Amino acid sequence: MTEKPRPGIPALFTQPPAIRDPLITETIDLQNATLEKCLPFLKGIHSSQKGPFNASGVPALLRDDHVGYLYDSLEDYPAGFVAMDASRPWMVYWALASFAMLGEDASRFRERVLATLRPMQNSTGGFGGGHGQISHLAGSYAAVLSLAMVGGQEAFGLVDRHAMWQWLGRLKQADGGFRVCEGGEEDVRGAYCAMTIISLLDLPLTLPPDSQARLAGLETLTHGLPQYLSRCQTFEGGISGSPGSEAHGAYAFCALACLSIMGPPEEIFHRHMDIPMLVSWLSARQSAPEGGLSGRTNKLVDGCYSHWVGGCWPLLESALNGKPGNAETPVGSLFSREGLTRYILGCCQGHTGGLRDKPGKHVDSYHTCYVLAGLSATQHNHYRTDSSVSSGGFASAFSWKSTPSRAEDSVFDKSDRLEPLHPLYVIPHKAAEKMRLWSEAQPFNV
Amino acid sequence: MEGAYSADPEWADVTPIELDDGSGSGAMPLATIAYPPEYLEATSYLRAVMAANEMSERALKLTEDIISMNPAHYTVWIYRAKILFDLNKDLNNELEWLNDISLKYLKNYQIWHHRQVLLSSREHFPTLPPKEADFLMEMFAQDSKNYHVWTYRHWLVRHFKQWDEPRELQDVEALLKADVRNNSAWNHRYMLRFGPRDTSSPDAGMINAGDMTTAPGEKGRLPVVDEDLVDGELEFAQEAILRAPENRSAWWYARGVLRAAGRGLGEWEEFAGRFVGDGGVKSTHALEWLADVYADGREGLAVGMLTRLKEEFDPIRGNYWDYRIRKLGVAEAEVAVR
Repeated sequence: MTEKPRPGIPALFTQPPAIRDPLITETIDLQNATLEKCLPFLKGIHSSQKGPFNASGVPALLRDDHVGYLYDSLEDYPAGFVAMDASRPWMVYWALASFAMLGEDASRFRERVLATLRPMQNSTGGFGGGHGQISHLAGSYAAVLSLAMVGGQEAFGLVDRHAMWQWLGRLKQADGGFRVCEGGEEDVRGAYCAMTIISLLDLPLTLPPDSQARLAGLETLTHGLPQYLSRCQTFEGGISGSPGSEAHGAYAFCALACLSIMGPPEEIFHRHMDIPMLVSWLSARQSAPEGGLSGRTNKLVDGCYSHWVGGCWPLLESALNGKPGNAETPVGSLFSREGLTRYILGCCQGHTGGLRDKPGKHVDSYHTCYVLAGLSATQHNHYRTDSSVSSGGFASAFSWKSTPSRAEDSVFDKSDRLEPLHPLYVIPHKAAEKMRLWSEAQPFNV
Repeated sequence: MEGAYSADPEWADVTPIELDDGSGSGAMPLATIAYPPEYLEATSYLRAVMAANEMSERALKLTEDIISMNPAHYTVWIYRAKILFDLNKDLNNELEWLNDISLKYLKNYQIWHHRQVLLSSREHFPTLPPKEADFLMEMFAQDSKNYHVWTYRHWLVRHFKQWDEPRELQDVEALLKADVRNNSAWNHRYMLRFGPRDTSSPDAGMINAGDMTTAPGEKGRLPVVDEDLVDGELEFAQEAILRAPENRSAWWYARGVLRAAGRGLGEWEEFAGRFVGDGGVKSTHALEWLADVYADGREGLAVGMLTRLKEEFDPIRGNYWDYRIRKLGVAEAEVAVR
């Protein structure tokens, strides 16, 4: 632990925080153990780190290794992976989104994606996690985004949009939220996945005639939804998975992205969220020396929150900046991009490819995707413009653009810059826009 | 291949539906799994009985078999719940069985929704099953911050109106005694004390949230305040802070309490000041607290607190502290940096 860090690394990222309570509890034991594990990686001196290291002491992105890992991740798994049986749409999505960020062409997988997803769609609407599994919003989200990424008439046309709409009507609840599947739980994930699907596929907002939610007086799929999300904000400022639970980073992203699909952040956030408290809670997710983000108060850093928490920042910053083009002095970045970049490149890269939660954990597709998404978000500035690709509803959702962040303020090398993803749909902007435009051109009568 | 089901006369009338993995299209499907033969066979029978919406003992057993091989198979849990109700099974037996499974698969969350579905039935569970709290404490002994278990417990409190049951607060206090930084326990405490209790309107993390006549900044503000309760909670938070001053949970709990009571942060100015005094700074949260107190009328002092956070005690959040400083709109000359 006393070994000296590489040159170029500020003490902030190699030393314990300035204030540490003497009282030791389980939380502190776990935190200290994590710190011990991370420090050699943050210092750039762990034997498994290949480098090369740049002048800031940050190791390079192992592009080729990650691409290789992702190709493997789409092939056959041994029997021990049976627990993954309900997550195969996710496996496809995580790999394709990662490929997009790494600049690999996803369209070459079109036929295989279609073959994989086709048996997962149910005639009663939506996609299950596999053949014969009931439709689930998470699986449907992953399937629709994967189809958007491979693109093309056949991929877009695979989705039975009419049945999807009717199924969504059955998931809509009286309190404004969505269940994740019929008979399943209601949570903020469901809301975000539903709005993603509705807006990308340009589904009618009116509730199907047989929707139970109509009995509660609701008329549309969005009715009561912002209020539902408002009820998920907790006294800490963050957002929980369902009303009354603890504030949690993954749910915060789902809620904020869901709101941002429904309306411009500067309007809809201010109407439904206590913003100062939300910003404070979100900011507190980052701590030193790790630099990475945690999902909840007094929990550990985890690479996947680079996206779930990190991905909230462009949305909140947009809300604080106001209408597109209006910001005289933009709020700028409210978290430490340097800290997050150091954590991701220093602590989250598996030495044979793939990315992970933290040192000592195995790499997996989920972490590979969301750690890369976090890195990509720190490498770009996301903002909205006055012009939207969508001529129908959801104008704000389809008005996002991005520019690369300034290289001179960054601690990563030029060659480590990833492609940007749409901050709400978490796929390339073009992929989201093309699916939306295709859908707008194929309206269906209800 | 002869399997456990195909060889069983009880299943002779069922034609299994084989897995369609999409390879029939000619393209190689992605992220395939070399399923164990037993799993492949059982799920083929599952597809068949589900297609027929069969509600039977044998289907129930089949779901148990599949759960034992893959508890993350959400479909099988939902089908199982349907069968249990349809056959009017003894749900207490089901709970017993679930307890074992839950301790075996600590990270699984389908289990917790399943449990909620069972206990939602007023017909079977007009009151809270007596051993429920004990079992949840057993779960917390394994993972005291398990999100799904806490979400379930919150649901349980509201469903069975347990807010004032002594057991709830006892458990929270036991967990906070063991680890005063257990934020999940603090959250549960807040919901017990200040969460909405009117079950005729939707649940919320803060009272009046989602009500369009309430501004977001007013969420959580109680219409009627029990000042004794509030003082008691503030005292509880202070004791926790004295044990561990750098514990965000306790400071933010106190903020939640004051917000609920419609009282400002100012009444803790002296208390917060104890942690930033001459003996050195003991808590970043005390600095932030004072900054918020000073922001109303003593902006220069507030900037001083935020500057210490930015430069000395919490520099990783420098951009945020800077933003807070800018929002105060204080000219540099007026800033009294101590």
